[in-house]
Amino acid sequence: MEDTSSMMPKKKLSKNCVLVLLISCFVPLTVLASGESRLPDVAIPLQTEGMERTTPLFEAFAPFLSTGDIKPGFEIPTGAIWQPGLLVWGDFRSALQQNDNGNVTTEEWSNRLNLFAQLKLTGTERVLMSVRPLDEGGRFSGYRFKPDTNDNSIDASNDDIRTLFFEGDFGEVFPNLDPDDSRRLDLGFAIGRQPLFKQEGILVNDTVDAIGIVRNSGRSFGASNVRVAALYSWNEVNRNDRLEDSKAELYGLFSELDFSCCTVNVDLILVDSELPTGGGSFIGVSSVQRFGHINTSFRLFNSTAEEADNAAVSSGSLFFFELSTTPPKTDNNYYLNGFVGIDQYSPAALDFGVGGPLARTGILFAGVGLGSYGSPLDNNSTDVFGSSLGYQMFFSGGRQQLIAEVAFRKETKGLKTGSEAAGLRYQQASGLHTIYILDGFVSNHDVNGSGSGMRAEVRFKF
Amino acid sequence: MNRDARNGLISNPHIIISFTLLLSLFMITTQSLATSDEVADDEISSEEVADEAHNALFLEQRMPAASTCLNCHPRQYDQWSKSQHSYAQLSPVFNSFQAKILKLTNGTNGDFCIRCHTPVGMNLGEPLFGSNLDRHATSREGITCITCHRMSQTLGKVSGRLPINQGDMTQPVYGPGGNENLVKTLETPGLKVTTQANERGRKIHGEVKKFSFLSESGFCAVCHDVTLVDGFRLEEAFSEYKSSPAAARGESCQDCHMGKIPGVVSGYDLGPAAIVNGFETPDRKLTDHRFAGPDYSIVHPGMFPHNPAAQELASLEDWIKFDHKKGWGTDEFEDEVTDDMEFPDRWSDIDDRYEGREILDVQFEALDEMADARKAILKVGYLLEDIVVDKASEDNLEFKIKVKNGTDGHNVPTGFTGERLVWLHVVVEDSEGKVIFESGDLDPNGDVRDLHSRYVHNGELPLDTQLFSLQSKFVTRNVRGSEREQILSVNFSPDPLPFLRPDSRPTILDGRILGARIHKQGLISNGSRWAEYEVDNKALNGNGPYKVIVELKAAMIPVNLVGAIMDVGFDYGMTPREVADAVVDGHQVLWKKDQWLVKKSEDEN
Repeated sequence: MEDTSSMMPKKKLSKNCVLVLLISCFVPLTVLASGESRLPDVAIPLQTEGMERTTPLFEAFAPFLSTGDIKPGFEIPTGAIWQPGLLVWGDFRSALQQNDNGNVTTEEWSNRLNLFAQLKLTGTERVLMSVRPLDEGGRFSGYRFKPDTNDNSIDASNDDIRTLFFEGDFGEVFPNLDPDDSRRLDLGFAIGRQPLFKQEGILVNDTVDAIGIVRNSGRSFGASNVRVAALYSWNEVNRNDRLEDSKAELYGLFSELDFSCCTVNVDLILVDSELPTGGGSFIGVSSVQRFGHINTSFRLFNSTAEEADNAAVSSGSLFFFELSTTPPKTDNNYYLNGFVGIDQYSPAALDFGVGGPLARTGILFAGVGLGSYGSPLDNNSTDVFGSSLGYQMFFSGGRQQLIAEVAFRKETKGLKTGSEAAGLRYQQASGLHTIYILDGFVSNHDVNGSGSGMRAEVRFKF
Repeated sequence: MNRDARNGLISNPHIIISFTLLLSLFMITTQSLATSDEVADDEISSEEVADEAHNALFLEQRMPAASTCLNCHPRQYDQWSKSQHSYAQLSPVFNSFQAKILKLTNGTNGDFCIRCHTPVGMNLGEPLFGSNLDRHATSREGITCITCHRMSQTLGKVSGRLPINQGDMTQPVYGPGGNENLVKTLETPGLKVTTQANERGRKIHGEVKKFSFLSESGFCAVCHDVTLVDGFRLEEAFSEYKSSPAAARGESCQDCHMGKIPGVVSGYDLGPAAIVNGFETPDRKLTDHRFAGPDYSIVHPGMFPHNPAAQELASLEDWIKFDHKKGWGTDEFEDEVTDDMEFPDRWSDIDDRYEGREILDVQFEALDEMADARKAILKVGYLLEDIVVDKASEDNLEFKIKVKNGTDGHNVPTGFTGERLVWLHVVVEDSEGKVIFESGDLDPNGDVRDLHSRYVHNGELPLDTQLFSLQSKFVTRNVRGSEREQILSVNFSPDPLPFLRPDSRPTILDGRILGARIHKQGLISNGSRWAEYEVDNKALNGNGPYKVIVELKAAMIPVNLVGAIMDVGFDYGMTPREVADAVVDGHQVLWKKDQWLVKKSEDEN
């Protein structure tokens, strides 16, 4: 059956008006004000109510951050003392959502469970494992109301292990090699299947099998701190097309320098692949700083494909910036972000289900990581410029927040098509474990026409 | 990633709905159970603490107090009693800070902060937040003797989560020297002590187990390299030390911070480690347990330094009521006392007030000593060079001054750098003493005019754009729009319900979590930085020559922290204003330079 919903933008607009009104009803008109400037002369009674530890889903061997005696550990052959503690935590998300991208209208109930288990061995060593038993390969367990098919239920249950890595400090694992601490053996390292997220996910955003090593507290270039990490990945590298390249190896060199003015990151990645798509080299340079009351981030990226441009890797550049400021007497956040993409910049590695390189621009450029509710605006960076303008307001001590955003993107080559969108997000914490989230947007695309979406999510954290 | 999506094994959505409901029910149930368990495990009810004497005796059997150690170790006790270690838990700023973090993280920070500050209290299962007046006396001792000397494992960077060997006074203690001197002492005729718990007489420990780790820098690292459970690198004193020239030379933390001169490798005193019933033990190396550093007490002097005589005279609650600022117990005050003047019951007797004053005089002396030691060590850590004039003309005045790290053992500031304020106060005066330029001045709360000043944030004072400060800044990642400075590092922008749980990424590689970090701005060991100033030519009134006065100042915390945590209240009935004023009272000028700015020719410029 032909989906005619895309031909009825007025109807959808009214739906979203209702959403906005609903949100307005929930939002009390109080702001998280920072208060009067002068500190008060009146004693405030100690607020001892509710000052207890919030327990995790599961803990064993040693209670997690709980009072009581600390158990002595045991010595392993290297001389290190291990004090094991097992912890399980995570969150569960469930949402009803409707999304029209201009072509297809989707209405669905989607679920996602993130479970993490950590075996802590010392203050620096740990093993971490995660699973997502309700979603797999971009499919989320739930039910699809539209488009209607023979079987609308979705079962994406799985027992895949998403991450499993060990991280630690070489000097702490082998303390006897440096008993008087005169040698610099405090090298951090991580090995296993691990998330790799660099430069806001614009350079790389993938989960790979890798080994990494890091030197922290460096004293170079006049910086207050220098951190340099090297990483080698031999497996599970997903390329720009979000497909795994079984022949790809990834080499990374990442650095972060804290100067008094700013924090500078210089990250280099080389992907080697025997597939015809070829490898590529990638660089990301950023500077994050405050100019007076304005918070700023400037980032510059370049990708160079070994072979001709293809879906897995292509050549191009991307300039990305973020600006924000906090209005007086509030903790609110005005932001203005933007980008200019020249040719076809491609990230070094992108996992399935994560946003494209422009996702950080705004909530209208990012999906929600649940179901098929994608980003209202395209987040690929080929020959395009665009921007988002948003305002985040906090209420009730930060436990309620509202984000309003408008955004656009415009291609600079080809058909030079453009898109615009406006959206709202309301989040509210309830008790110690629950968050309610409402989202809504309307969009207009030169190619697909109007789009819209709305969703309601409940999230349990534990 | 396995992309072989499996289709429709569950054909009925009710199964998924049921699963969701079950999971929710499970979570609610486990939370309820956990909460009730926690009350049982974590808290001591008021009934349980009713019998203080019994409680104290019980605790002495497990974790002897520093006041017990005083019997044989008066030198060490005296030094420790006025140290930051012994102030750690008494601090009202710390107490409220950790409570505020607990509140902002919705209880998930647990005992992380307070575990280090009162290991005894946390071992006892005392509440995470409450008045220190309600805590056990040994809990109030903070980093007390047994924290270090009842530790027997060569732990790594465990962020202060230390197992303490428990047992009564006769149980072994741990020290770098071992048992030799104790054996000799016990052989002394007529000593009248016992090492047996069930015998009468003064009980002392029967053994000092050799624990050379106490003399290693790594020992300090068990607390002084703090990584939160989510991977946030909060304090990096030991990490900085590891990369320093001092470490390469083999100089330890103790060499600088427990030697004869604070902050300088100056050797150690020699003398008896103990005086047992009047008998001095053989001479050996003595370390300084004052641990002078940037913190200072802002509580009533009757409460701190720890003083058994003060504790014997009055309770802490009573001491708080002793108005020493009015001069109670001095002839000047008491001579003016009239019959209609009212005093708290404990201090209604003039003799008690005189006795109280006598004790406070001792306390003030100790506090002054520590203020001097603090200034001495900070002056070793921070150096200020001479003022350099870049431009001096009728309409152009530019100058600079270099601030140096005087140590090569770690950055300055180090430790909790996000809340350590060291800055330059710069004033330019004209020939008549009129101030035409100022940077590093304080707002009415006592803050420098940076982004954290409430007056600047509220638009009532301009930002000090030329401020030179070495304070590192907590920056949090906005949901969108770069990162911004926050006084506290809990990030609520992306999530209205922040939880402190381990990060799902290998944070050791990134050295940070995604949502928050410290922007370090201190000076690396042996490092330096120019502070550069330019006077707006509109301010140049032609009434030269001009004089520049530069002060390098240090505060233990910025006052804005007081404002950020005040909503949970301050202990001892202190108002936020009182806390702030006391913090400002402790500001110290480490170095001061001044120079007349003589007009320079264009060529010289």
